[in-house]
Amino acid sequence: MNSFEANVSRLAQSDPALAAALRQSGGGTLEIVPARTGMPSARANGRWIHSAYDPIKEAQAWAEGQSHQEGETIVVFGVGLLYQVEALCARLPRTASVVLVVPDLSVLADAAAARTWGDWIGRVSWAWGTTEAISEQIADAGHPLRLVTYAPAAALHADSHRAIETALQRRVAVQAGGQLRIAVVGPIYGGSLPITRYAVSALESLGHQVRCLDHSVHATSYHQLELLKNSQHRLALQSKYAEMLSRVTMAQLAEDPPDLVLSLAQAPLILPMLEHLRRKRFLTAMWFVENYRHLTYWQQLAAGYDFWFVIQQAPCIAALKQAGAKEVRYLPMAADPSVHRPLELTQVEREEYGSDVSFVGAGYANRREIFPRLLGHDWTFKLWGNEWDGAADLTSVLQRNGARIDTDTCQKVFNASAVNLNLHSWAGTGLDPEGDFVNPRTFELAACGAFQLTDRRSLLPDVLTADEVATVSSPDELPAEITRWLREPEQRVAMAAQARQRVLAEHTYAHRMRDLLSQIGVASPDRIGSILRGDRQAEALASTAADPFPSLASTLRTFPSTQRVELKHLAAQIRSRGPMGTLSREDLMVLMLDEYRSETKDLV
Amino acid sequence: MQHDEEATARRLLIQLARLGDLVQSLPAFASLTARYPHRSLDLLCPAPLTDLAGLFPEVGRVLKWNGAQWHVWADSFVGEFQPSWLREVEEYLAELTTEPYKMAYVLNHHPRAILAGTLLATEVQGSNLYGPLDEELSPWALYLRHVAQTRGSNRIHLSDTFCGLCGVTPPPAPPLLLLPSNDLPGDLAEVGISAGQWIAVVVGAGDADRSIPVAVWIEWISTVLAHDSPCAVVLVGTERDQTTALAIQDGLSPMIAGRLWDATGRTTLPQLATLLKRCHWAVGADTGPLHLATAVGTNAMGFYFSRARVHETGPYGQGHWVWQADHALPATWPIRPSVALLLDPGIASQQEPVAGWSLWQSHHDEWGAIFRPMGGRGPQEDQRATVWHQLSEQRLSLQGVQ
Repeated sequence: MNSFEANVSRLAQSDPALAAALRQSGGGTLEIVPARTGMPSARANGRWIHSAYDPIKEAQAWAEGQSHQEGETIVVFGVGLLYQVEALCARLPRTASVVLVVPDLSVLADAAAARTWGDWIGRVSWAWGTTEAISEQIADAGHPLRLVTYAPAAALHADSHRAIETALQRRVAVQAGGQLRIAVVGPIYGGSLPITRYAVSALESLGHQVRCLDHSVHATSYHQLELLKNSQHRLALQSKYAEMLSRVTMAQLAEDPPDLVLSLAQAPLILPMLEHLRRKRFLTAMWFVENYRHLTYWQQLAAGYDFWFVIQQAPCIAALKQAGAKEVRYLPMAADPSVHRPLELTQVEREEYGSDVSFVGAGYANRREIFPRLLGHDWTFKLWGNEWDGAADLTSVLQRNGARIDTDTCQKVFNASAVNLNLHSWAGTGLDPEGDFVNPRTFELAACGAFQLTDRRSLLPDVLTADEVATVSSPDELPAEITRWLREPEQRVAMAAQARQRVLAEHTYAHRMRDLLSQIGVASPDRIGSILRGDRQAEALASTAADPFPSLASTLRTFPSTQRVELKHLAAQIRSRGPMGTLSREDLMVLMLDEYRSETKDLV
Repeated sequence: MQHDEEATARRLLIQLARLGDLVQSLPAFASLTARYPHRSLDLLCPAPLTDLAGLFPEVGRVLKWNGAQWHVWADSFVGEFQPSWLREVEEYLAELTTEPYKMAYVLNHHPRAILAGTLLATEVQGSNLYGPLDEELSPWALYLRHVAQTRGSNRIHLSDTFCGLCGVTPPPAPPLLLLPSNDLPGDLAEVGISAGQWIAVVVGAGDADRSIPVAVWIEWISTVLAHDSPCAVVLVGTERDQTTALAIQDGLSPMIAGRLWDATGRTTLPQLATLLKRCHWAVGADTGPLHLATAVGTNAMGFYFSRARVHETGPYGQGHWVWQADHALPATWPIRPSVALLLDPGIASQQEPVAGWSLWQSHHDEWGAIFRPMGGRGPQEDQRATVWHQLSEQRLSLQGVQ
């Protein structure tokens, strides 16, 4: 019997449907090449899937690098010739469950034909079929899940894996019942400041306990430093100031350690502080709501955060990983429907804020170059926002002498304009040739039910369709497109309504925060994942404590069953028995641990 | 029969504070050992101090309190408490003792020490009256708190208060550590061998505000080494004090070569004890090594300032000297008078008053340590016998209530 028959016959004992499907499936995806050791290795698309020298040793080294907690199911992405699965089975305790994701049967057929599998194959469960079927099989394998990736083989099916992971995250999001304690660290000032507030509000709406570490209160002092004429002094003092605020943040975190520290772009946390937080087992994430090509300070922070969330795709993700980031995920911008919403405006307001065409934003170079072309037409044009100094030809349309526009005014302009222009900023002339990310204004306009004409962005079709947002691919198209849309008021209203529905359904900050947490939850099943699953709630803890520590279990049962219980809560409950309260041995251990927990000075 | 059980019961003394507190627990340890001679007394102390605790005379087992490990456990429990993880804690406690002690004497008024006592013993004697959740203090703990607030002279010394907390009286003579023969590293082997006065200078202190300034040490050592009589100086301290020791050496004349040894950060605690034993004097602020010197029988001279008070934590024993500053931050230091006194103790009675400082000498009697003033200060009221009687009566009355 050849290897293929031997392997498939063996497989038929545990998963006959998969064995039958394998017999139907042809191979040929992998090119089998003998390694130097004589064992079969494999290539695909000209790239090695396993070592050309010693695939077994390489797989063992990979398996050594994977972490595992008792009770977890390990889900392996990347099939190849299964050397890595064999090595993982050898390393893990026999009770550990291993699920191999098989998005393409032809690869498994090649693997079955290449070499005969050992007894370890009996420990493997197989997740195969459609994306939904695979995610269902993984979910059925039991929680908590730990996803591990054998990158050389997984790269062949990166899209499928992403889709499966997203499906798993959705399941986590749906199941999420546990309350996290999240500290959100905001910037001193700038565009990410309102995003911080929206994120805080969204997290609270999801039921989490959120503490906003608001550094905007330090903005006045920081701006004073900007007035220093000596650039050496200014830069040195700004750096010291950021370091000081970083320490303030640490002190705040030490007072009430959260489950997750979520920073928004420009948050004053420097690398040494992030490294210290990691040593103290804080989990950190950064939502970098900036164009990574323009603001490059991420290079100094990449290795500091456990998770990065970015608004740009592949090149940005690759750059961050190159700089040392471990986990980088795409998380586009969004809108907050409680702020960005349709408004009933008075006639006076319509006259003040309304126009045929409007734009709200700062005077970036490309806008200064494009907007003069919109003057002298038979429509009214109003330009709102600051940093337009020196744009003499736009003075006639610039509102409020170029004063900064607050959020309320912005919503009124959006609601009162027939065509809202949405030109993404760029330091060059014309439109950004590398324009990829979608700015917050896109979602905010849509959430207001306002019609917008935006420049084409490569990531726009992922979030809003051509039925929802009108686009131009060149500044030259703008006058004609504006004229066209001004003549089609009904279609404008219909598109804006569709865009609003889409944003409410998929693109609010609540959606983003749920995605962010579920992604972190899947990636850290023993920490955030376990809290989201409710494993830290009183009843779940009491069940695990019942056998070895019955007195502890009965204390845990004095809490409401779904209340999240931590060491400090438990200690407080024990102390509340009063001076004459009876203490069990585990009560004393809990009190002792709490004494050590309450010492936070070493963090600061 | 019951009396026999009482005499042979397993007992544990708990001291979880720093080096100075451990050394100052020696009188209480000695008195307890004398009270219960049929079974050795075990001692629980911080892991870094266990080698030194092993030098306590007639000590039984020395139990290692691993504070760093407790911190690791506590950190791992933050935000993600898992009951099953308590097993590891349980195993650690079982390694300390499989059977609970009959009695734990807890010398620290700190929840950790009280909890440790309650975890390891069926009965606890110490600062709290009724267990870890009770804030009612025992008479001796109340006394300690009272004197910490009111200060005053000739109160009961901390070491003797420890005796009170344990229900014993101070030992008839100041006890000493039992020093095995310890090899000293490198050139330190020469310490104490040649003739003359060997003086250990304790350069640092646990808290920065208790440290004697480098400039003061430079002047003090220069004055000592400029004296006609032969003498040598050994700088002692931890690794953390090495920078201070180097700064002191930088400030000294090159002519002192061969008369100064730097032992900072180079010794284990038992080696430090041996080193101090080989010296005739130890000089420094209110620090662990100064107390260690007295516990190996070496004369001590302390400069007490900041929060240090001679009556509370002066060097325990007979014939030690303490210069007590009138203010927390002394403006001047009694350098020449202290050097003169150290090299010729006979002049003590002729000692002129030094502005900003008072000079005290230690004595020991049935009530433990007492410090008497030199240089013209009037006799001080000795309150110790009264306090001992009052507190013992209160304690007995509480025992009656229980």
